[in-house]
Amino acid sequence: MAVLHGDDLTQAFSAAARCLERYRDTINALNVFPVPDGDTGTNMLLTMRAAMEKLTDTANITAGEAADMLAEGSFWGARGNSGVILSQFFKGFAEALHGKEVCRGADLADSFSRASDAAYASVGQSVEGTMLTVIRDLAQATQEKWAGGEENEPLDLWVAAFLEAQQALYRTPSQLAVLREAGVVDAGGMGMLVIMGSALCHLTGEPESLLDQAVVAAQISPDQTIPTRIDTDYLDSTQDVQWGYCIQFVVHGEGLSLDGVREHYTAMTSSAVVVGDQRLIRVHIHATDPGPPLSYGASMGQLSHLEIQNMNEQNLGFVAEQGSRAIASAPVGVVAVTPGDGLALLFQEAGCAGVVSGGQTMNPSVQALLEAADTAGASDVILLPNNKNVVAAAQQASAANGHIHVIPSRSVPQGIAAVLCFNPEESLERNLDVMGQAIDTVVSMEVTQAVRSSSINGVPVREGQYIGLREGELASVGDSPEAVLISLFAQVGLSPDAVVAVYWGADASQPAAEDLGRFLEEENPGMQFDLIYGGQPHYHYLASVE
Amino acid sequence: MTIRVVTDSTSDLPEELARRWDITVLPCYVVEGDVTYKDGVDLTHDQFYSRLTSESRLPTTAQPSAADFRLVYEELLGQGHQVISIHVSGKLSGTLNSAEQAKASLAEAAPIEIIDSQLASIPLGLVAVGAAQQAEHAGSYQQLAEKMRQDLPLTHGFFLLDTLEYLQKGGRIGRAQAFLGSMLGVKPILTIRDGEAHPVERPRSWDRGVRRLLELVREMGPVRQLAVIYSTDAQRAAVLREQLSDLIPADQLVSARFGPTLGTYLGPNALGVAFTREGG
Repeated sequence: MAVLHGDDLTQAFSAAARCLERYRDTINALNVFPVPDGDTGTNMLLTMRAAMEKLTDTANITAGEAADMLAEGSFWGARGNSGVILSQFFKGFAEALHGKEVCRGADLADSFSRASDAAYASVGQSVEGTMLTVIRDLAQATQEKWAGGEENEPLDLWVAAFLEAQQALYRTPSQLAVLREAGVVDAGGMGMLVIMGSALCHLTGEPESLLDQAVVAAQISPDQTIPTRIDTDYLDSTQDVQWGYCIQFVVHGEGLSLDGVREHYTAMTSSAVVVGDQRLIRVHIHATDPGPPLSYGASMGQLSHLEIQNMNEQNLGFVAEQGSRAIASAPVGVVAVTPGDGLALLFQEAGCAGVVSGGQTMNPSVQALLEAADTAGASDVILLPNNKNVVAAAQQASAANGHIHVIPSRSVPQGIAAVLCFNPEESLERNLDVMGQAIDTVVSMEVTQAVRSSSINGVPVREGQYIGLREGELASVGDSPEAVLISLFAQVGLSPDAVVAVYWGADASQPAAEDLGRFLEEENPGMQFDLIYGGQPHYHYLASVE
Repeated sequence: MTIRVVTDSTSDLPEELARRWDITVLPCYVVEGDVTYKDGVDLTHDQFYSRLTSESRLPTTAQPSAADFRLVYEELLGQGHQVISIHVSGKLSGTLNSAEQAKASLAEAAPIEIIDSQLASIPLGLVAVGAAQQAEHAGSYQQLAEKMRQDLPLTHGFFLLDTLEYLQKGGRIGRAQAFLGSMLGVKPILTIRDGEAHPVERPRSWDRGVRRLLELVREMGPVRQLAVIYSTDAQRAAVLREQLSDLIPADQLVSARFGPTLGTYLGPNALGVAFTREGG
């Protein structure tokens, strides 16, 4: 798309309005600044809808006309702090496109910059780490991309803006202390990401699941937890604050001084956002007493679109609503005990919400299992001990916490068979049933080195020899781990429809493991064979036949 | 006055079937680098897959524009038809937006019903064919639309992937993503439900995956429509059709091919089954 037409802009922002509806609750749930009252998503949605209201007949509309209508509609329909800032975003956007037939790359870069300037100008005292920052950063990224000059079609610029919005949102907790304290990213910033992303998805024909991924990514903190809700302690503490009233209105007058009015309200109230021109000014403020700011407004002209909300009430409602939600984001999650970094990764990638390090010679404590289940972010946790020595600890954890359910996997291959049958969209009962059955479908094998000479089950074993266990019982002895494993497979017998997996450990060598893999594949054409780095100590190989 | 069905090329509806039922299929666009093709019109499936597997960058797809829709609507209305326009899930594509915009730009009382199938690919194709089949005896186009909306939950599709490579390259499919696990050679089965891709199962070999596909169809009871769909391996599709041939008369078993929209993500060697259950 070399240029964006009026119709493209209309459709893109209309997609944004719909997407905001989908994200309204998510955004509301993040709202801590300036007042934790859970309405940012709603306000941005209502403002966005108002912006679209003028855009009914859009056939043959120019880009400039579309932008003008977005600005006009959002001015009149702006709701809340975030809504007014959003309306100014559109105002700046429209200024740059005014009178233009189409929006080219240069126009888009310019319009995001003007949008950022207008957004900042509307706020009495701008605070960083908010949607303002997200807007400024996305505008800058667009300018830089444009100045870079290589690929400067509007969509390339929009992609740059969107990616930067994602990064900027991710940075907001580092910029604004209250977000850090509450453990969330900025709600208004999230709204901007949703708007930019859904518009982009629409323009490129991508599905909105792409945006969903970006939203999740923007929220992932370095410790890999996803704070989609506000820290409960923080939220409780907000009830002791006097939040006052949220007051919004439009002044109709003549020869009004926008800057003067903004200065006045910034001095006498908080969270002042004042926008408009000489004849119309929209005011959004927070004040403990609505009287004086209203009187001042009325002294300048007629008031319309008047709205006053008690923010203490809103705050109480929000705290109650958030508190009643289950802490968990998922109904069912899986936690696995894994020996070795490769296996930990494998279990995570296969869908585990958490992994606890442990195995044959390093049993995890019951406490460690309880903690892992607690932080899994699920109401019910299915625990896979993956070693016969860990099953008891897992069952103790389950006895201590009724939401922990143990599938008694006695080996890593059993655990993998179980986790592959996990489906996060199915019920706990169904998962327990299917996963429980899965552990009996595999034959588990282990290859390790004898630490002393002895006789096991009547078979003499010299120190340093390799031994192969099948289902925990000694089944083979040999002078190389690979030979032992091959003999184990021979004992079990590999049919063409078998599924064989080999996990090589920290003590095995990669070339030897790969040679082994090639050998097995050649010997058994058509068989499904997976060779994976497990990284487990002591056991050169873990293997399974299904 | 007759009712005509409009759908889009994400329905993967075979051309002869569309012709037989007078279904208008709006082509989506396939964008490869600087070049834009109309899906199925100036890019054949074979050309598409040969590029998909040889080029490093995935092609992207774009929905038909509002203007494309308007042309089709105007033509059908001009011939005195009423229109049922049934399309790919709004959660996967903006096609519905284009349709809605086009409808909004026409006269207020234009007899057009737009339906979000909450499906994609041949499951959507089956719904479109079902609508055309019922059009004659449906009464008004509104009644037919109402019936189609009610019956949507009867149509299912299951897709078996040979490789996760294209899905991962494309970064798509939302919630199914985390579930896949690419380190193990799993052959995931996906379905489209409530307008989005969902994971179903993760068989650990291709043969097991095919066996599960067959079971998934049979578990659902008698079917009144059935389709087998593939991306590149026509032979495997033929075997699958053979294995399902007892469920429906041979001439009613639809044979389809994944077009670029899903094919980009499902990749080569993917297979699928779609069916509409009896009932309703």
